Amino acid sequence: MSHGLEVRLVKRLPGFTLDVEWTAGEGVAALFGPSGAGKTLTLQCVAGLLKPDAGRIVVDGRVLFDAETGVDLPPQRRQVGYVFQSYALFPHLSVADNIGFGLRDRPRAEARARTAEVIARMGLEGFADRRPHELSGGQRQRVALGRALAPDPALLLLDEPLSALDATLRQSLRDDLRQVLAEWRTAAVLVTHDFTEAYRLGDRIVVYEAGRVIQSAPRAELLWQPASERVAGIVGIRNVLRGTVLKATPERIQFKWRGQVLEAVNSPTRSYLPAPESPLAFFIRPEYVRLIRKDRGSPDSGHHMNLMEGRVVGEADFGTTWTLYVRLDAPGPPAQDGYDLEIEVPRLVYEILDIGSDRHWQLSLHRGSIHVLPSSPLSAQ
Amino acid sequence: MSPDAVSALWLSLKVSMAATALVALIGIPIAYVLARRRFWGHAVLDTLVTLPLILPPTVTGYYLIVLLGRRGILGAPLYDATGFTVAFTWYAAAIAATVMALPLLVRTAAAAIASVDRELEKAAFTLGRSEWRTAIEVTLPLARNGILAGLVLAFARALGEFGATLMLAGNIPGKTQTVPLSIYTAVQTGETNEAVVLVGLLTVLSCAVVVTAGRLGARAQ
Repeated sequence: MSHGLEVRLVKRLPGFTLDVEWTAGEGVAALFGPSGAGKTLTLQCVAGLLKPDAGRIVVDGRVLFDAETGVDLPPQRRQVGYVFQSYALFPHLSVADNIGFGLRDRPRAEARARTAEVIARMGLEGFADRRPHELSGGQRQRVALGRALAPDPALLLLDEPLSALDATLRQSLRDDLRQVLAEWRTAAVLVTHDFTEAYRLGDRIVVYEAGRVIQSAPRAELLWQPASERVAGIVGIRNVLRGTVLKATPERIQFKWRGQVLEAVNSPTRSYLPAPESPLAFFIRPEYVRLIRKDRGSPDSGHHMNLMEGRVVGEADFGTTWTLYVRLDAPGPPAQDGYDLEIEVPRLVYEILDIGSDRHWQLSLHRGSIHVLPSSPLSAQ
Repeated sequence: MSPDAVSALWLSLKVSMAATALVALIGIPIAYVLARRRFWGHAVLDTLVTLPLILPPTVTGYYLIVLLGRRGILGAPLYDATGFTVAFTWYAAAIAATVMALPLLVRTAAAAIASVDRELEKAAFTLGRSEWRTAIEVTLPLARNGILAGLVLAFARALGEFGATLMLAGNIPGKTQTVPLSIYTAVQTGETNEAVVLVGLLTVLSCAVVVTAGRLGARAQ
């Protein structure tokens, strides 16, 4: 029996079509994307609360839905746990009765023992007789998790599990949730529109946009190799820029940008070889741009690649780091809104180099810090 | 109070309680179906149940005679088979009161059921409960106060029922003469004192009902 989740579905609604396909292995898959992209709709289809028009849903080799063969298990028989955005705890039942709700078909003694076990594992001892409205936000989340996990589902679905909480609580509960998911080792699918949340909780991230999946990848790959400019934009990557290709080999790509000739590492596995003169999208992480110290002699071209010069035209203090907005010494309009590059430096560096009064700097970029974005039909428009 | 008035009071309570029980039995499933299901004939059922609220009670009573009278659509076969007819028995009074009180429960209960968060029902489905078990364990308990308020209103309506009862059950002292009919008869025959006592009794009861239903309704919010 194969482990993992296979989701392929089409659901047509008035003015919106969900048409997605992705797979996930063990661990947590985070469906990430803006509100209204179809993430919750996907969960409802997987849980059997909504019937897709076409497609196939398989959990650990068990077919839950298959439009072609007519398989459509009702939600009662899918063995899929669902944690609702509002938690949907039964307000007229105690914590123990909520958690034991899914254990009804088990012998009474066994159900009671399992309920006690889940209450203990969720750290809810002493709250068994409380009603949901007597609990804090964090306790409610744990009751909802416990209730969904108690019947030992094959898959756990979580719909924006942290959005009902305020910002301070959110962060600590995110870590709580991460721990619970790791401890129970139940395969899970989580929906969120917060990238930090997706990254912290998901082993794999599936990026949704307007009813489609624009990338599905392990989380690190998503951050370092977004499949397209769209994905880069949606995951909040800064300095997404466009240049013109000079020469591309499987190892390197040379291109022109703002009058500079830059060199980036190509990814041999992607075999992306754009033709000379074709447009090229790339991004530069703000924390990977180096400022060259003026007290150490002239830069060594063997060590410092992709040299550029520019002036700090704006800055913002983020406490532990400073963000600098740099305009290059090059003719023509700047690449972004009044500046060419956004750079992030630690506060200590800002103070030692006295960037507050010294505004003109030489910059360098390692070729491995320039990330080329393969063009896709979406970004080509 | 005269023996007739006392028996009218007991009869009224018996009829109203029987009617309330019937209303609960028939009305709660109808309310659930109207609130939670979309089906062909939804509007027809809704209209049919609500109609007695709008129609003059004598018209409703007339339809009941057409249906249940000795020569009625259902009444004739029943009479032919058993020699029994509903008309002019206390059963007739209970049936008339049931039909008249049903809309009050169905309207109130359907609103209460519709206001139960559907996600709770979906949660119950994913935890293995059928729709039927979900209704019994989740939806109806959460709509409880609205349903109880509806039942209290239905009881009050049954207690005050006059027109349809008169049509189907008649006005037979000791047999089908409920309090409202008794008041009417007392006034007609000039027994004002008797009428005043019963009028006061019904007024107090009705006030109690309004207060109770209001409290239940407020708690249902």
